[in-house]
Amino acid sequence: MEEKPSDTDTDFSPDPGGPGPADHGAAETITSRQLTEQSRFAFAALCSVSLGQLFAGPEDSGFREQYLRDLVRCLDLDESVMPVMGAFLSGLGFEGTDTFLSILQADPLVAAGATPIIQDLVTLSVKHGQYDARARVLIRHVSCLLRVSPRQLEEFEETLGERLREAGEESEEESCRRRRRERGRKLRRYLLIGLATVGGGTVIGVTGGLAAPLVAAGAGAVLGAGGAAALGSAAGIAIMASLFGAAGAGLTGYKMNKCVGAIEEFEFRPMSSGKHLHLTIAVTGWLCSGKYNSFQAPWCSLGECGEQYCLVWESRFLRDLGSAMTSLLDGLVSMVAQEALKYTVLSGIVTALTWPASLLAAASVIDNPWCVCLNRSAEVGKHLAQVLRSRRQGKRPVSLIGFSLGARVIYYCLQELAKDKGSEGVVEDVVLLGAPVDGSEKSWERMVGVVAGKIVNGYCRGDWLLGYLYRSSSAQLSVAGLQPINIQDRRIINVDLSSVVKGHLDYMRQMDTILVAVGVPTKEVPGASFVLPQSAKAAEKTTVNLAQSNTEQRVSVTQNTAGKEESRDWREVAETEAMGDGWDIPDITDLLDSLNETESTHQVSTRSKVSANSEEAATDNATSSDFNAQNNSLEDADLNDDDDDEHISWSWDDAHWTTARSHK
Amino acid sequence: MEDDVLTTLKILIIGESGVGKSSLLLRFTDDTFDPEQSATIGVDFKVKTISVDGNKAKLAIWDTAGQERFRTLTPSYYRGAQGVILVYDVMRRETFTKLDNWLNELETYCTRNDLVKMLVGNKIDKENHEVDRAEGLKFARKHSMLFIEASAKTKDGVQCAFEELVEKIIQTPGLWQSEGHGRAVQLTDEDAGGGSCGGYCSLL
Repeated sequence: MEEKPSDTDTDFSPDPGGPGPADHGAAETITSRQLTEQSRFAFAALCSVSLGQLFAGPEDSGFREQYLRDLVRCLDLDESVMPVMGAFLSGLGFEGTDTFLSILQADPLVAAGATPIIQDLVTLSVKHGQYDARARVLIRHVSCLLRVSPRQLEEFEETLGERLREAGEESEEESCRRRRRERGRKLRRYLLIGLATVGGGTVIGVTGGLAAPLVAAGAGAVLGAGGAAALGSAAGIAIMASLFGAAGAGLTGYKMNKCVGAIEEFEFRPMSSGKHLHLTIAVTGWLCSGKYNSFQAPWCSLGECGEQYCLVWESRFLRDLGSAMTSLLDGLVSMVAQEALKYTVLSGIVTALTWPASLLAAASVIDNPWCVCLNRSAEVGKHLAQVLRSRRQGKRPVSLIGFSLGARVIYYCLQELAKDKGSEGVVEDVVLLGAPVDGSEKSWERMVGVVAGKIVNGYCRGDWLLGYLYRSSSAQLSVAGLQPINIQDRRIINVDLSSVVKGHLDYMRQMDTILVAVGVPTKEVPGASFVLPQSAKAAEKTTVNLAQSNTEQRVSVTQNTAGKEESRDWREVAETEAMGDGWDIPDITDLLDSLNETESTHQVSTRSKVSANSEEAATDNATSSDFNAQNNSLEDADLNDDDDDEHISWSWDDAHWTTARSHK
Repeated sequence: MEDDVLTTLKILIIGESGVGKSSLLLRFTDDTFDPEQSATIGVDFKVKTISVDGNKAKLAIWDTAGQERFRTLTPSYYRGAQGVILVYDVMRRETFTKLDNWLNELETYCTRNDLVKMLVGNKIDKENHEVDRAEGLKFARKHSMLFIEASAKTKDGVQCAFEELVEKIIQTPGLWQSEGHGRAVQLTDEDAGGGSCGGYCSLL
């Protein structure tokens, strides 16, 4: 069994240009292969159970099965485990998650830290030159179960990305020499083949050039934990070219074809340097004068989320809109009227009739730029979808974040992607803030399929400007930026930003706070202290900065999940320790929230029932292990999905129940 | 076809290493026999629909690994099982004497106490039995189990073992009726995730 990898290596070692010796090294460095067989089984089982939970849809079935097959091969498990893994994938046996985890954690190699096996997962995911967004979501999920902090994961991805890039660059210098060398060899090989009429195995080698080493990698030999180092130049180039986009130019090099529809301006500006294995595209909603006169300005606090780009689009119109909005808010409509408006919108009576005369008088100022931008944002969104679909960004996960019209761009982008089959696995996470788009279930259901991770809908119930602007465009009363989206899907997370966002303009002005509230990494805390649990930070901030409603929402989340903690005392202990190590929460809350998000709408309704003491409790406990514990109860959360509605209205004290309820 | 399946039953096969659990299963599901059957890794899983007394039942059969090193994995599969097949090797007495341990484990981990147990003495095609039929029968009676002797190699009693087990389960309505529908949904590939949670919740 152990000989297998080296066998495949020797098969390929005559292949020229390939990282022959590197391959041999790599085979030794796959940590997860050195685990005991039961641990490897448990690891594969854990991954397949998670895959089954995360990607249950039929559109993902191909990915699920392929990934699992690769994993089983990579772990050097016997093919005979495939049927049971298939059963796990289809959602059976998820109650074994605890067992799998404890077996894995009992393994001496993992006991010291599960980072190496998570790294193996990452290298496994990129080895085909394509980093699927779903793979990344899975890795995040599994690493949270195995208590590997997102920070560690991010670091490894960064290193791997850098290595791949180095390998790629090096090759550019050497490419001429290498090509010449290869040409000679190829000729000789063709001759050999002609003579020997060799079968399939060697034909792979004949494809020569770049693909071969990767095919070899497919045999499961390449890329261990130290696999990054072991990446030979040829493998590196192939992966790099595919991962990081055509010819390495990627998004920055993107120039819009002049013929594209009604769009005047569409390009990407980098906001960070370096190569990462994933990227984030931020889309700004409008432009103002002064501090916020550039597309990058609102996103300055955006933290660790891969390469960052911002989309520069239609600046002329966005500037018009920005100044119209500012003048409307700063002059035309009095503060008193604004307050009144806020409550009108809050009360939910959004009909054209209730708008005050002063505002209707100002309509001419804003309606025109708004309508222009509405139309253009939809066009830009569709164009963005085309860019993403053509993988200009490379075959790696993209996260999208945008506010106001920027959110509309993203919404249309996703709608467009959803029209095509096979667009899954491109987009990882999506954050829409104050989105002026249809909030009805039907339109959102369609697009959740293309997002691998979560879709955050940040809304503000008192955003009268949005309500007002949208009044004419919409007979429909549901606007995503004003209310939660009511879909039962793990991906949708509704975040009520009412307490941060006092008016629509705050989406730009308060972006720093908003980013924290929706759980996007920020870089307020520099350096090492970054590992400070961000969701805990988020929770604190929420308590401090955001008033009432938001806090309460967090509270209810905490309750739900803390409540779900069953018979996991051993783990609680581990968590407390993990806290000290800088166990990073937010990325888990993502996952966790994704299980809870469906209820957040209920939470809204039950919010008022949440007692004051629960609020305090949340403040006190937000950072405690209880809060932390929620992250591990993912499967339980799943298990208890049905009961969640009940959980919500519990007060904090009730939430301390443990075993009594678990044996329903 | 889905429609006329009465229920989906979770069946578990346990027993010492090498007694022929996987062989029994393979004989039952695929009607094949491999004398060189390799040791199960972790657990194996097979689905088969059988018809008993005109009722169709879908069996989700979990075939556990008998090897000691995989023992830690098995407890999670006991959960929700409606039927258990305990297997021993008639040629090896120690596999019979260790049945007590398996029963203990079963007691500890299974979530329902009315589950149907079936004792199977395997490999009766061979000679020199160390455990005779009467002994097995006595043990089975003592622990209120069904009993049959079988041989995966010669097909003897294999089909019968599963059929009887299913028959008994179906005769015990409390065992499957409550969540019959939920489980049926659970097994379809398309609708695995959410549906399954509900199924399990309701039966805890």
